[in-house]
Amino acid sequence: MAERQNRIPGEPGIWLLIFGEMTVFAALFASFLHARHGDVAGFLAGQAHLSKGIGIANTLLLLTSSLFVAKGVDMAKQGDSTHAPRLFAAGLACAAGFVLLKALEYAELFAQGIAVGSHPFFAYYFGLTALHLGHVLIGSVLLSALTLVTRKPLTKPLHLALAESAGCFWHMVDLLWIVIFALIYLVE
Amino acid sequence: MAKFLQDRLLRVWALLVAVTLLSSQIGGAGGVARIGSAALVSVLVLGIAFAKAAMVMFTFMDLARAPLALRVIAAVWLVGALGALLAIYFGF
Repeated sequence: MAERQNRIPGEPGIWLLIFGEMTVFAALFASFLHARHGDVAGFLAGQAHLSKGIGIANTLLLLTSSLFVAKGVDMAKQGDSTHAPRLFAAGLACAAGFVLLKALEYAELFAQGIAVGSHPFFAYYFGLTALHLGHVLIGSVLLSALTLVTRKPLTKPLHLALAESAGCFWHMVDLLWIVIFALIYLVE
Repeated sequence: MAKFLQDRLLRVWALLVAVTLLSSQIGGAGGVARIGSAALVSVLVLGIAFAKAAMVMFTFMDLARAPLALRVIAAVWLVGALGALLAIYFGF
């Protein structure tokens, strides 16, 4: 393992993007809690309209997709063009499940007459989750690309680094959802 | 080596799933009745969320074996964001 110590995962530039995005999201999380501090009862009433079950299911879907993608990247590094694309496809299927459940939750809220302007809680809920959903969709395009390109062994170091970068972007999507789930669905 | 890595990822995933189920039992509707204090519920669920974020960073993203600078940036984000969120939650 020592020979791999001090190795930057993927392309170095991806980390500028990942930590930049994560800092923007952290500022949004702080803004959410600041607004909540001024109207705790209103934010708790908003939270009660959400489906915790869907939130849990979506968290488990993204965690599982991250596992598939991490294993897929490992397989791609080993030149395994049989398992790598299957693992990325499995990750993509989890992503599709996430999008489906998110659409279901939005539809349930709309059916209750709830919209972005209903209360500041919902402005943050729809804002944060839609921004995150956009990242899920970008990540899904990357996973689709990985599913296709890993059907042949990736031999060039640059191609492997790009595959690993895409994997790290996907893990960031998972990581951000972990915090969003805690903040929006679980904080009391 | 490959086998070991796969097993390690699987172990971390299982831990992440278990911790997710635990934190969803602590927080959300009725959480205060179960735990006794809204502040304690919030500290626990946010603490668990950032512990999970750290696991994703250091195992799935493979930052555990990255250069020190990158590991420090990751740690600063984790500690800074959690610290700021808790401070705002408590109205500092």
